[in-house]
Amino acid sequence: MSLLTPQMDNSLPADPGISASPSDRTPRDLMPANPKRPQLLACLLALALTVGLAYPRTEANQVPPTEEQTESRQGPTKFFDYHQVRGRQSQRVASGKLEGELDFSLQGRSRMQGMTPFGPQWSNNAHLLWDGVIGDSMKSSFEVESSGIYDVSIQLTLAGDYGIFRMTLPQSSITKEIDLYSTRVELAPMVVLKDLKLESGPQIIEFELIGANPKARKYQNRGYLMGLDYLQLTRKSPEPTNPASAAPTQSKTTFQNKTKETQDLKSDATNTNGAKHKQELTPQEISNFTKTFCTDCHHAESEETDINFVISSDDQAWHQDPMLLRQARNELKDHEMPPEGSDQPSTEQRSAMVSTLNSMLSDYVRSNQVASPTAMRRMTRYEYNNAVRDLLHLRGDIYPLPEKTLRAFAPYFEPSKGHSPRAILVGNRTLGKNQVERQILTGVNPFAIDLQAEAGFNNRGEDLGVSPILLESLLRLGRSIVHSPEFDGYCGLTDSLFSEPEQQDQKNTLDVARERISRLLERAFRAPIDASTINRYHAYFEARQNETKNFRTAMKDVVAAILASPRFVYLAESATASDGKLLGGYEIATRLSIFLWSSIPDEELLKTARDGTLLDPEILDAQTQRMLVDPKCHALTQNFARQWLRLDQLVTAVPDFDRFPRYYSRIGCEQWKFGLQMMVEPLLLFDSIVMEDRSIMLLIDCNYSYRSDELQSWYEDVVPFGDRENRNRFNTNRQQYTRRKLTDRREGGVITSAATMTMTSSPLRTNPITRGAWVATVILNRPPPPPPDTVPPIEADDRDIESSGLTLRQRLTQHQKSAQCAACHSQIDPLGFVLENYDAVGRWRSSYTSGLDIDSSGELLGKLKFTNIIEFKDALLQHPELFMRAFAEHMLSYALGRELTVADESTVDTILQGTLETNGQFTTVIREIVQSQAFRYYVDESAVQATR
Amino acid sequence: MALPLLESMQHSSAAQAARQASHPRRLAFFYIPNGVVQSAWNMPDVGRDYTLSPTLKPIESVRENMLVLSNLDRIKVAGTDGHAQASTCWLSSAAPDELSPAGYPLKRTIDQIIADKAGLRTSFRSLELSCNPYEDNRESIYFDNISWFGHGHVARSLRDPAEVFNRLFRIEEHVNSSSVLDLVMEDAKNLQPQLSKLDQHKLAEYTEAVRTVEQQITRVRRRQNDIAKLNPKTPIKPWQAMRRDEFIQVMGDLMILALQSDLTRVATLMTGPERWGSPLNVEGWFDKPIQHHSWTHGQHNEAIRKQLEKLDRFHVEQFVQLVKKMGAISEGDGTLLDNTAFMLGSGLSSGEHHVCNNLPTLIAGRCGGAIQTGQHVRYAEGTPIANLWCSLAKAMGVDRNRLGDSTGLINEIS
Repeated sequence: MSLLTPQMDNSLPADPGISASPSDRTPRDLMPANPKRPQLLACLLALALTVGLAYPRTEANQVPPTEEQTESRQGPTKFFDYHQVRGRQSQRVASGKLEGELDFSLQGRSRMQGMTPFGPQWSNNAHLLWDGVIGDSMKSSFEVESSGIYDVSIQLTLAGDYGIFRMTLPQSSITKEIDLYSTRVELAPMVVLKDLKLESGPQIIEFELIGANPKARKYQNRGYLMGLDYLQLTRKSPEPTNPASAAPTQSKTTFQNKTKETQDLKSDATNTNGAKHKQELTPQEISNFTKTFCTDCHHAESEETDINFVISSDDQAWHQDPMLLRQARNELKDHEMPPEGSDQPSTEQRSAMVSTLNSMLSDYVRSNQVASPTAMRRMTRYEYNNAVRDLLHLRGDIYPLPEKTLRAFAPYFEPSKGHSPRAILVGNRTLGKNQVERQILTGVNPFAIDLQAEAGFNNRGEDLGVSPILLESLLRLGRSIVHSPEFDGYCGLTDSLFSEPEQQDQKNTLDVARERISRLLERAFRAPIDASTINRYHAYFEARQNETKNFRTAMKDVVAAILASPRFVYLAESATASDGKLLGGYEIATRLSIFLWSSIPDEELLKTARDGTLLDPEILDAQTQRMLVDPKCHALTQNFARQWLRLDQLVTAVPDFDRFPRYYSRIGCEQWKFGLQMMVEPLLLFDSIVMEDRSIMLLIDCNYSYRSDELQSWYEDVVPFGDRENRNRFNTNRQQYTRRKLTDRREGGVITSAATMTMTSSPLRTNPITRGAWVATVILNRPPPPPPDTVPPIEADDRDIESSGLTLRQRLTQHQKSAQCAACHSQIDPLGFVLENYDAVGRWRSSYTSGLDIDSSGELLGKLKFTNIIEFKDALLQHPELFMRAFAEHMLSYALGRELTVADESTVDTILQGTLETNGQFTTVIREIVQSQAFRYYVDESAVQATR
Repeated sequence: MALPLLESMQHSSAAQAARQASHPRRLAFFYIPNGVVQSAWNMPDVGRDYTLSPTLKPIESVRENMLVLSNLDRIKVAGTDGHAQASTCWLSSAAPDELSPAGYPLKRTIDQIIADKAGLRTSFRSLELSCNPYEDNRESIYFDNISWFGHGHVARSLRDPAEVFNRLFRIEEHVNSSSVLDLVMEDAKNLQPQLSKLDQHKLAEYTEAVRTVEQQITRVRRRQNDIAKLNPKTPIKPWQAMRRDEFIQVMGDLMILALQSDLTRVATLMTGPERWGSPLNVEGWFDKPIQHHSWTHGQHNEAIRKQLEKLDRFHVEQFVQLVKKMGAISEGDGTLLDNTAFMLGSGLSSGEHHVCNNLPTLIAGRCGGAIQTGQHVRYAEGTPIANLWCSLAKAMGVDRNRLGDSTGLINEIS
């Protein structure tokens, strides 16, 4: 059995600069764990019996597994194949259509041509256009998801300069000739190839230009054209076996789409205590429990910890501390406490205490009616850019934003198509060369970047103030935007807002201005505008017009003022009604558009705010779904995902110049780092999940990835970039990222991406603690507590460590002898050690450079054992509630612009329930958040005291 | 190093004009992150003839203008990050019971308290500068700012010398915006009654900023002719292209210019943010990018400690260069330095264990005669650095008898 692609199984001499040895690529190294599989099974079964965990067992593999897959998935447990989740399906995809311009690899003289000028009949309004001279051929391929018998229909285009082609499907030994000549540009009669047996994987299709109709005219005086609109696969057999796996016909309203498995799971996973029926402990028993298992360390005089269960003489004071209750419950439940080596409670004792703590927590939340308010905040500079852009219908950004990492060279993010293109041409604004537009509107400069909260996002009220410097910036921004020389050509409102009315008498001019200002104010302030506000702005307009004698200039001055107004820059919500009220239409509209678009509402959303229909949950859901297919929700990738993954840390990652020279474009040009290509990969994966509405579990493990050829080489070749010497080793501008099928489960998903692995390493070695903390924070949303003041140092270079005969793991373990260190590190470190097979620049290695073995085994949350990265991914896939909960929490925190508290647990439970029911479908998470009470209701700060 | 900014100032008529004016007292802070290597910093003897420690060797030439203080402490706030509180609480000495919702005690810092009075007549009430060289987003605002207006309200620093230059010296940056400010102020008033108390507090930041900017525009424009005469050269190089020492010196020059021309009397210069585990190039001093933060935790290893000591010396060296520049600027019978208190410090004494006792403290300049320089004074163990804040406030004409955990004043400052 081999899980390796043939390319990876090569044995070229190793580049001295890359810490991979030839033996790294042997298949042997991957699965040494097979003998241990039964052990894992036993462990999981035991766990299931004792803790009552249930995991989904489905036979849902729609894809008849290939030999390789069969083996790799033949573990003790079969688990749901998250690849089959495809929520948003355009009709085209639902019918198995593969668009010429999207689904075929575009190469050579192939390109996309929009067909709208010739009529509406082309699918997706475009086709793939190719040209060549007689004898040339266009070779391409398309993906077949699973082996079977298919009818293949091929839709081509006819036109006056199109040739005669011989079409070949070499794997099926099919050949067919077609003349594509016609006097008009129109669709060709459909070519249908019946009952083809197709294997899963890429199918080659070749069109050879063999001649031309005598009436056809030449294209560019030399050759002929061909147009491929789409190719449609209709599956004849075997029939899909599981209704859930019939992805293309899956209902979009997946809220009702429950399966037994997910319900079973739900009852366990979403109920945080998991043991409500059990006997709860009396205060005396609680006290006995803490005395036996906790207070040896957790007492008031402890030097080691701030957490204690005995405050002065009152050992029940902590019963009223919700944060402590939650922490105690979580750590006890996850076997993080008591630490290894201490006396452990029996399973019954533990679960009774967990259940008790949970009740205490619920009681506390209920009786104190705690809920957290979302503090008013100003927009971030990212949101300000989008808001101005959308308010004034600008063609693009107003200032350079390096934090908008993906710079597309043709619009590709179109979720309404339900399909992410196969090839995407992007640059990296953050790190790439010449990718940040120096000036978009001349003279317009952004204010300082907003920094992310620790383990959170950059949109929290307490971190977003307005200082005098910022106000100066806002005043300057308003002026510089409208008065920049490019503005008129850049703005879509030049006619409707700024142009002088045709009838030029004084009264008419003022009336028109008043009408325009009042409409603009409503959109800018996202609120009904009272007459006195309109009067003020109108008076300002009049004064400016009197002074400048110019309608346009005066109107621009009004806009400049609006852009600095607190009612524009603050996301404010009214507290005038009583606490716990439903937010108003405009307020929900603003929350929603800021959440999904990082911008202000558009006219359609405002309309539902104005007439109040948005308060209806169904209308709200419909609007949410509408907005999710708008390209503006690219902000979810660019703003949310970038921050969630903390990809910014790749900006300053500096693998050692000498140890990893190929990370740098060339010596002397250290600013051009390969990280610029790495950073794009997880973002394009996230993009595809949004566009295709797939399962968020693909972020954990995915069988495809978007990579440039150079990035592919980074993963696959012993010496990346072939023989390119110390000179422009890789492209620092834009690159074409192609969707590639991954057959090796060591790859795929965000955790093992080269981006993550590189940014969590030190210059001369990996950093398992940083990696573990990253996984704990990003993937599990259990950020480790800040390190204690005394941090023992460790050698900076793994070679120094290995020269003493120790692996990094052994060295780190040596250093964490004290119980104080071990308690946290036993939780964090295994999440980093499991990634030790990825070196400091994200390349696979089977052993350390010194030849020492890598030990990547460990436990997840003290219960799920794994011996390598694949088993680790399996553990996460088998317990999807772990990641789904974390992801939902991150996203909810982002949506609300605040840190979550204990009071949000029930909200998260509900979101998680819905997410589990759709197997992690992306839009479910969003829709559930939008429908939640936390998102739709206002909370007054009077509740704050209780939760802090 | 050539310093076009300052050179151009020396003979300008505006400098002469400034010289003829009265000479206000000024206060500036030079912050170094992550503490210092204590063993190389501390000095055995006190008094006027103290022997310089290895790290403090660079101050030899300016020791007569320097007051060195030992044993000043900050309150450590348990349960919050050691580095974030180092930067946020250094200038406030805020106590553990003064936690903000974000977990950091964010009281108004002493520079802002002093600016409340000392900034009443200058164009800019205060100046906050940073030489944070990192282009990633690794840490939150609490690691990146030492000056705070109060809870959740950061006096955000400027990192780009070109931006600082334009703000200070380009009059066209300060357009008369009174009618716009009237409009937006009215919007704020409309908004206010609907808001919760917490949000009203947030909105007050905005209205406070409006008032500050209004005054600033008036004052800047009042000194329009003065500033036009200054005519200093724009720092043409983008900061990203500057060497590390160049970046600190250019920013320091801008600060000195602002103090010298009385555009402001209170300034903070943060040489770099706390923690921020990203590697950093210090050209000419280290061959490879350095890891300041992780070095501090590895300093019991001698090789690492030596490197760290070198970095500490680098910072002291940068400070001394700026002190010398201040000393070369004449003001009346003395120099700018004579009328300024320019302090070097850090919110941690040693980064190794996040210790807050015996914080590194150097004060250059006599602040108009208020400071007795030329000596090393060791205070009793446990003396709060808040005493120094109160004394500096007093020297700047601000009565502030209590701040944080203060217990009195520093004798050498009157």
